[in-house]
Amino acid sequence: MTQYFIRRLLLIVPTFIGITILVFVITRFVPGGPIERMIAEAQQASMQTGGMSQSVGSSIGAATLDEDQIRQLEEYYGFDKPVLVSYWDWLVKVVHLDLGESTRYSDPVWDTIKDRLPVSAFYGIMTMFITYFISIPLGYMKAVRHNSHFDHASSIVVFVGYAIPSYVVGIILLVVFASNLEWFPMGGFYGDEFEDMDSKLEQVADIFYHAALPLLAYVAGSFAVMTFMMKNSLMDNLAADYVRTAIAKGMPFKQAITRHAMRNSLIPIATHFGNNISVIIGGSFLIEKIFNINGLGLLGYESIVERDYPIVLGVLVISAILQLFGNILSDICVAAVDPRVQFR
Amino acid sequence: MMSLFNLNPLTIKKINRFKSIRRGYYSFIIFTLLVLLSCFAEVLVNSRALLVSYEGNLYFPSYGSIIPGRTLGLGYDYETNYRDLQKKLKDSGSGFVIMPIIPYNPYENDLNDSSFPPFPPSFEDSHYLGTDTIGRDVAARLVYGFRTAIFFSLILLVVSYLIGVSIGAAMGYYGGLFDLLFQRIIEIWSNIPFLYVIMIISSIMIPNFFMLIVIVLLFGWIQMTWYMRTVTYKEKAREYVMAAKALGASNSRIIFNHILPNTVSIIITFIPFSIANGIIALTSLDYLGFGLPPPTPSWGELLSQGSNNLESLWIVSSVIVAMTLILVMVTFMGEAIREAFDPKKHTTYE
Repeated sequence: MTQYFIRRLLLIVPTFIGITILVFVITRFVPGGPIERMIAEAQQASMQTGGMSQSVGSSIGAATLDEDQIRQLEEYYGFDKPVLVSYWDWLVKVVHLDLGESTRYSDPVWDTIKDRLPVSAFYGIMTMFITYFISIPLGYMKAVRHNSHFDHASSIVVFVGYAIPSYVVGIILLVVFASNLEWFPMGGFYGDEFEDMDSKLEQVADIFYHAALPLLAYVAGSFAVMTFMMKNSLMDNLAADYVRTAIAKGMPFKQAITRHAMRNSLIPIATHFGNNISVIIGGSFLIEKIFNINGLGLLGYESIVERDYPIVLGVLVISAILQLFGNILSDICVAAVDPRVQFR
Repeated sequence: MMSLFNLNPLTIKKINRFKSIRRGYYSFIIFTLLVLLSCFAEVLVNSRALLVSYEGNLYFPSYGSIIPGRTLGLGYDYETNYRDLQKKLKDSGSGFVIMPIIPYNPYENDLNDSSFPPFPPSFEDSHYLGTDTIGRDVAARLVYGFRTAIFFSLILLVVSYLIGVSIGAAMGYYGGLFDLLFQRIIEIWSNIPFLYVIMIISSIMIPNFFMLIVIVLLFGWIQMTWYMRTVTYKEKAREYVMAAKALGASNSRIIFNHILPNTVSIIITFIPFSIANGIIALTSLDYLGFGLPPPTPSWGELLSQGSNNLESLWIVSSVIVAMTLILVMVTFMGEAIREAFDPKKHTTYE
C-alpha cells in the first residue's frame, strides 16, 4: 500500500509538467500578450499626449515603442528564447518557489495569490461544512422514509438544485434578495466601513452578512450530489445482509441504522472529501465574479482577460497541485475508512 | 448491430418502465416537442410574415429569398417590413398579412422615438417578454438561443460519445501499452482546468459555432472514454466474451456484436446529463463573453445582460425561468431513464 502511494506521489511530477507545459505553450503562442498590450498602451498614450508635446516627446511620440525597447521587453519577460528553454527557466524558478512577477502590477505573483487564498478558502470551508450539515441528515431521512411524501417532495427540491448551475442560483439570489428586497448587499467580501468597525465581532458579522448569498449559491451547487450519495449508500447498506441479520435478531430499526448502517454509509461521503480540496481553496470564479468577491477564482479569470500570464500560470500551478494531491488524498481516505480496499 | 434496433422484450420492458415514471416521461414528451418546434422557429418567431395576400396573389415569405417592398406595393427595394405592411393592408383593405406569434426576429432592433430601450413587456407591441438593452425582442432571442444551445449540445454529445466509445472500448479491450498511454494522457488532460483553457483559446480568437464545439470537445471526450474503458474492461472478463473467443470470433466482431450492445443501455442513461452539461457549458461561456460572437442569440448573453441591468427585471427573469425549466426537465428525464434502464431495487423495512 505504501508503495502504491509513493508511486502515485512520484507520478505527480510528470503530470504536473504535462499540465503546465501545455498551458505555457498556449500562453506563448497566443497574440495579444503583455508586449502587444504595452505597445498598444504606448500607442494610446502617444496619441493622447502627441498633439500637445510634439517637441518634447520625439521618442515617446514616435507612434509605438521602437525596436530596442521591444527587444528589452522581450528579454525581460523571457520572450526572446525558444518556448522550451523559457519553460525550463520558468519551471526552475517555480521549483525555487518563485512564481515570477505580474506583468500588469509588477507585484510578485505569490503575494497576489496569498492575498486571495484566504477569501476563497473561507467560502470553500464554510460551504463544505454547511453542505455536510444539510446533506447527511437529509439523505438519512430520505433513505429511512424511502418512497414517502417527504421523500418525493424533497427529491424535487434536490433535483432542481442539481439541475441549475450554481452561478445561475447566484444570479437568482442576487436579483431577489439583493436587488429587489435589498436584504443583503450586492457583493464584495466585506463592506466599506469594515476598517472602521470597533470590535472583531462586528467585523465577523459583516463578513457573514456579505457571505450569506454567495454561500447559499455554493451550497445549492453541491448539496444535491451529496444528498443523493448519502441516501443511496444508506439504502444499499440497509439492504445488506448484516443489517437484515441485526434486525432479524430483534435489534430495533433505529439502532440498526445508527450502530451499523450509518457507519458504512459515511464511507463514500468521506472519500468525496479529497475531491473537494481544489474547489475548497480555488473557489468558483463564476460565483466570485457575480458577487464580486476577490478570491482566487476571480483572480484567475481577470488575469486571463488581462493576459497577465505569470498570474495565470501561478494560479494554474496552485490549482493543479491542489487537485493532484486532492486525488491522492481521496484515495488515502478510501483506504483509511475502508480496510477492505486494497491498492496495488 | 441489428440487435440494437430490434426491440427485444427486455427493451420493451425498459421503455414501459420509463413511461410509468410520469415526471420523466412527460418531461421527455415536452422536451422533444420543444426541440422539434425550435427546428421550425422561423414560422413561429420571425419578422417575416407567414402569409401575405396582396392583390389576389399569395406570398409565403417565411423561407427563401427576400421579397422587396416594391413587389408588395411599398416604395422601397429592400426587404418588406411586414408589420408595417400588415397595418397598411388593414387600412386599405386590398389584402391581409398573417404574422407569426412573435413578429420579430432575434437580430432586429425595434426602437421608437419617444424613449430608450430596454422596453418592458407589452402585449400591444407583441414584445411579450420585453426587449433587451438595444431593443431586440427577448422572447425571440430566447427561442433562437434555445435552438442554438440544444443543437450545440446534441452535436457535442454525438461526437464526444463517438470518440469516447471508440477510444474507451479500445482501451478496455486491448489494454496494454495503448491503455497505459491514454491513461496518462487522460490524467494530464483531466487535471487541466478546462474552462480556463477554453477561455484562453476563445479570448484570442472569436470562435464560430463549430469551432466552439471543437474547443469544448477537446475536454468533453474524457468522461465517456473513461467510463467506456471501465465498462469494456468488466464486460471483457465475462463468460460470453470468452465463449465468443473460443468460437473463433474476431476482435472487431466481439467488440461490435457482443460487448457494445451490452453497454448501450448504460450509455443511454448518460445522455440527458450530457445534454444538460452541453447547455450549461455554452451558456457559461456566453455569459463570460467567451462563447459565440455577438449578435448570435444566446442564453448566456441574455443572462449577462440581465444581471448587469437588474432594474430591467424582465430580461434576467425570463432567461432564468427558461433555463430552469429546460434543465429541470432534462434532469427529470435523466433520472427516469436511469431508473428504467438501470433500476436499483432496495429492501425496505416496515
